[in-house]
Amino acid sequence: MSTDDHSNPLSFDLECHNINKAFGDFIAVDDVSFKIPQGSFFSILGPSGCGKTTLLRMLAGFQHPNSGDIFIKGQSVLHTPPNKRPVNMVFQHLALFPTMTVAENIAYGLKRRGISKTEQQALIKDVLERIDLPDAGNKRIDQLSGGQKQRIAIARCLVLKPDVLLLDEPLGALDLKLREQMKIELKHLQQVFGTTFVYITHDQSEALVMSDQVAIMNNGRFEQVGTPQELYYQPKTPFVASFVGDSNRWQGKVSTASGDLLSLTTENGLKLSGLPASSEPFKENDTVIAYIRPEAISIIPVTENLSTVSAIDNTDDINQCHGRIVNILFDGARSQVLVDTRCGEPMHVSLPQTGHHTSLSKGDNVTLQWNKKQCLCFRPAESNTSPHQNLT
Amino acid sequence: MPPVSTASLSNTSRIGLWLLLAPILLWLSLLIILPHVDMILISLQERISSRNYSFSVSNYTEFFTEPLYWNTFVRTAVMSVIATALTLLIAFPVSYYIAKMLTGRLKTVLFVLCLIPFWVSELVRTYGWMIILRETGLVSTFLQWLGLADQPIEMLYNDAAIMVGLIYTSMLFMVVPLVSTLDSLDNSLIEAGYDLGGNSWNVLKEIVIPHAMPGIVSGCVVVFMLTLGNYLTPALLGGKDSLWFTEQIYTQFITRFNWEQGSAFGMLLLILSSLIVWVGLKLSKQSFSKVMS
Amino acid sequence: MKGLLNLKSLGLITATATFISAPIQAETLRLLTWGGYAPKNVISDFKEETGISVKVTKSNNEDMISKLRATRGAGFDLAQPSQDRISSAQADFDIYKPIDLSKINADQIIGSMFEATRKSTMHNGKVYGIPHVWGTSGLIVNRKTAGQVADYTDLCDPKLNGSVSYRLKRPTLIGFAFAMGEDPFAAYEDKAQYQAILNKVEGKLIECKSNVKAYWSGGDALLNLMRSGEVNAAMAWDAGGWKLNKDNKDITFVAPKSGALGWIDTFALPRKSKADSAAYKWINYVMRPEVAAKITEAAGNFTAAKGSDDHVNETLKAQFKESFSQEAIDNIQWYPPVPAGLEEIEGKVLDRVKAAS
Repeated sequence: MSTDDHSNPLSFDLECHNINKAFGDFIAVDDVSFKIPQGSFFSILGPSGCGKTTLLRMLAGFQHPNSGDIFIKGQSVLHTPPNKRPVNMVFQHLALFPTMTVAENIAYGLKRRGISKTEQQALIKDVLERIDLPDAGNKRIDQLSGGQKQRIAIARCLVLKPDVLLLDEPLGALDLKLREQMKIELKHLQQVFGTTFVYITHDQSEALVMSDQVAIMNNGRFEQVGTPQELYYQPKTPFVASFVGDSNRWQGKVSTASGDLLSLTTENGLKLSGLPASSEPFKENDTVIAYIRPEAISIIPVTENLSTVSAIDNTDDINQCHGRIVNILFDGARSQVLVDTRCGEPMHVSLPQTGHHTSLSKGDNVTLQWNKKQCLCFRPAESNTSPHQNLT
Repeated sequence: MPPVSTASLSNTSRIGLWLLLAPILLWLSLLIILPHVDMILISLQERISSRNYSFSVSNYTEFFTEPLYWNTFVRTAVMSVIATALTLLIAFPVSYYIAKMLTGRLKTVLFVLCLIPFWVSELVRTYGWMIILRETGLVSTFLQWLGLADQPIEMLYNDAAIMVGLIYTSMLFMVVPLVSTLDSLDNSLIEAGYDLGGNSWNVLKEIVIPHAMPGIVSGCVVVFMLTLGNYLTPALLGGKDSLWFTEQIYTQFITRFNWEQGSAFGMLLLILSSLIVWVGLKLSKQSFSKVMS
Repeated sequence: MKGLLNLKSLGLITATATFISAPIQAETLRLLTWGGYAPKNVISDFKEETGISVKVTKSNNEDMISKLRATRGAGFDLAQPSQDRISSAQADFDIYKPIDLSKINADQIIGSMFEATRKSTMHNGKVYGIPHVWGTSGLIVNRKTAGQVADYTDLCDPKLNGSVSYRLKRPTLIGFAFAMGEDPFAAYEDKAQYQAILNKVEGKLIECKSNVKAYWSGGDALLNLMRSGEVNAAMAWDAGGWKLNKDNKDITFVAPKSGALGWIDTFALPRKSKADSAAYKWINYVMRPEVAAKITEAAGNFTAAKGSDDHVNETLKAQFKESFSQEAIDNIQWYPPVPAGLEEIEGKVLDRVKAAS
């Protein structure tokens, strides 16, 4: 990173002001505004069809917003064609030129800048070393592996020293192992080059692992922008709560709305308490949606066969309920148990692989406990449909 | 069924293979190889007197010593190269538009529109051009009606008319390979070309044309061969000075009864045109098998 | 010729073709002829009378020789080349067989023509041709716009710049030679003299080239050029001129001062013909006066059949009279048989004319 970045940490590489884009009746991007600080890794995460690709193509210049403005380093680029914008894009399928060698691919952009032959050679050598492929210059594109292609595609852009690098789900075509590896590598490359990355994906893990900031996009709008931790721990909308990470979701009615916590009863009669996540205060009998993450629930095996039917609050901070294991969904570190709480609300609970729960089996009675503050309560959104990641 | 030994099995399969190959071998030998061998044999004869021939290469030396024949061939080759180049120039934007700018129904419609003229025979198409270009034809009448011309204009019977006819006849054979190669060009490659700072010319030269090269070359080879071997269009649209090599061959065979000379010309056309195509492939760094696949 | 392979492959193809056409060949006459020489009504009448069906292939002199040469005289049962093109073709390619004159009803045929054709189609003492249709080539003139054209060389009149057409074929060379005061027919046997005459003609034709709109190759193309007024004078057949005259009285055939060139198309038997009796039946049938008149109507030219003129319509007779005075008829230059090798000389002259600019 150049010293410039440190001296002015609040300068923004990319700013969008009230961007709108519609295709006929379909609104792809709906009044989106955001700012990306210099040198950060910014992801836009959303389900397919949420408008993230359209937004990225507008940043690259392939599409024009119906209204709004885009600034790069403080300059509006609205009327700058793609080949003049100080941004470069890594395409979904990389778009490496198959008729050229690796070196020619990298040289393509340099030539357009009128850089001399010798300087081109030096820059190509340098960038190939930085991506750890020093000998790839004379190779044809079809001689490269998937991961190598990925790195060449990024190098081809970064050698031009763009202000912003746009990445359109470039890991989508890779197999799982390679994808895990490339996540780390991409983050590493971004730190080495110090370039601002705008990365779009529908894979939350990619976004959470690599990003400094993530924007959750749904139906053309940004639902929430924040650090991965903020999005995970303090989701501001039910969509974010359900889209980022897994959640158990119940709909219910507020029974008491005094103090910090809400008491509510779910449609099937489960009584529990939770932390209101909306800014608007809840009143009694308001409809409420409660989310609790499977990994926030502790599981306690019960040796005697309890006859208690519903959950009982016994301490101030703990929600507790009893149930029977319906199924064990073993998936290594992501293993879960499915518990029937006898009041009709099935719950997904993470099964920590610490060795304490190896004896659990189907049909066992268990007690489930979780901190009331980890149960987040939202008002139901009017139009937003819950994404498919929702477990219940 | 009695057990079949492996030896007899391989025998039957070998017979099967020969049976499968038989039609193509027959076709090749009867209709392609034999006539050509025969043509070479005929071309190496010279008429001494009635029904009396002897071995001679005079038919070949005649081609190189008589400037008329040599000039006719050069003229035919040059015109064919120009016609091929012009066809490419016209067909490329058309193909690019069909392959890259249009989608769905409109694409099919436009492609079929390119095909429609080929549902009628070349003769009819050529007569069509004659009706349009002749002194009392459509264009001339229209120009007079507009007041741009005060007397009938003859647009037929010259080299430009031949060129128009040849290009029109060849369009399809250029458009089809071009559309199919351009169709296979990923749009993101074009976008990447712009994104990395290229202008339209750079993208065309560095990305689109290299990608379309096999299509361009195969289109050019086909159009060049068709044009060089065309007889009807130059004969009907051409003027009083228009010489075409195939016409020369036809004349030798049909009006002069000089099969020996005609065969020699035929062989020379085959050899020289193959040579030109070979040079073209070398210059464009394409291999024949790649281009024709 | 030593083209043994050629013989084999062609034989195979012919055999296949024969095999395929065998079932319908109850009795069929395969006729290689000119357009108009075998009109539909004559063919159907002939079939009614004899049960023989006639399959017509339209052709011209050069094409007939080439076709028969390719199959060494097979594929057709009767051909109709011009009388001057028979003996040399027979000498070179052996594509015909002699005619059995005893099977011909010679009484139906005008004696002088029968005799002339017998002489000119003679090869090694045998007769190869019977006269059928005769006509001339000369000038087709639009009298309104090119009335001054009375001989071939008048086509080079600068006033007719760009509105003249003729064929680049041997009749043009011969016609111009006569109009320039030469006698090419007399020089047929002396190649050097013939060459000298043609050199003169070549010079004239090259000089005349700017007058030419296009060298015509198909009869219909020429008629279109005349009809549309794009061409005002042309060298062509008499029948074409009379055809145009029906629609436009200004246009007609003019017998040139130096003499129209007279041709006689004949009947000749291809060497490997398969239906000789049908061929003789056809010859005797079409030479009947009333049948010959029908052919005259279709082709536009008169036949060698005795008394058929009485059956021909008045228009054609009137047109003929207008084009040909008795003097012009006497002045017709009849083509003598072409000796082998002349086509070579003529071909090169024609090539040079076409190449010149």
